[in-house]
Amino acid sequence: MEEQNQPLEDIRIIRKIMEDSSRFLSLSGLSGVSAGLFAIAGAIAAKMIIPDSIITGEGYSESFQASSEGLRIIRFLFADASIVLVLALASAFFFSWRKAKNEGKSVWTPVTKKMLVNLAVPLATGGLFVIFTLGRVPGHISASATLIFYGLALINGSKFTLGEIFWLGLLEVATGLICLLMPHHGLLLWAFGFGVLHVVYGLFMYIRYRG
Amino acid sequence: MKHILANINKAFENRVRLGIMSMLIVNDHADFISLRETLEVTDGNLASHLRALEECGYIIAEKKFINRKPNTSYRITREGEESFRNHIKALEDLIRK
Repeated sequence: MEEQNQPLEDIRIIRKIMEDSSRFLSLSGLSGVSAGLFAIAGAIAAKMIIPDSIITGEGYSESFQASSEGLRIIRFLFADASIVLVLALASAFFFSWRKAKNEGKSVWTPVTKKMLVNLAVPLATGGLFVIFTLGRVPGHISASATLIFYGLALINGSKFTLGEIFWLGLLEVATGLICLLMPHHGLLLWAFGFGVLHVVYGLFMYIRYRG
Repeated sequence: MKHILANINKAFENRVRLGIMSMLIVNDHADFISLRETLEVTDGNLASHLRALEECGYIIAEKKFINRKPNTSYRITREGEESFRNHIKALEDLIRK
């Protein structure tokens, strides 16, 4: 009996090792859920601080951005987005680290490094793009740029982790492009891309991979 | 039956060797420690199988120093890749039979 099953078992082992050693599979669904919740909280904070006239684009002008009120809002939004980013990354790392630990896998492998480098290059480029143009472009362009660069980072990194990340990346890019066409809904689309998409994706992955 | 078994490579019959080849076929190179962690084997066991595959000409070892510590990294040879792909194909044929 064992003799007969050996080729099948061999193939199974080959597939598993190829998969385990070329992809970071400990990405937790909870990482997505927590990142999404932080993004929604950040968007609500932004909605409360920014005057409605700015959100809808009616009050936007270069002179407003240069005014002390405008600068205050830009600084607040920048701080708000930075805090969301740090909390989202920290919670994403925490849940994935926990998942890897529960599965008895090591987190820091050559594959993890490859995945992070592939994520970091487009992401850092996008971050610098937003910082360098801050206050010189309407808010929805910044929102759109964060979504597009983040989506491209996910697509780039998806080669080294769960394949579903590729589709999440595509949806983020699409949301970013729609955001460019709908300047009055920049904040809402940002909250949808970073909040709703992450939560839905995270729950889906949590159920699908049981963790 | 005979022609199917002809492609089954004796060098890959062992599970550790199967694991080493699987890892090196999808990764450009892998060092001793990551091989040991992924395959969950002892140093001695891993070293002896690595040596056997090296003697077959299927993998090559590259010794480097990282932060002054010796680090041996392994990569698959063209011959190794070809032989391993043939072996996988032979296993699949055997299952289909």
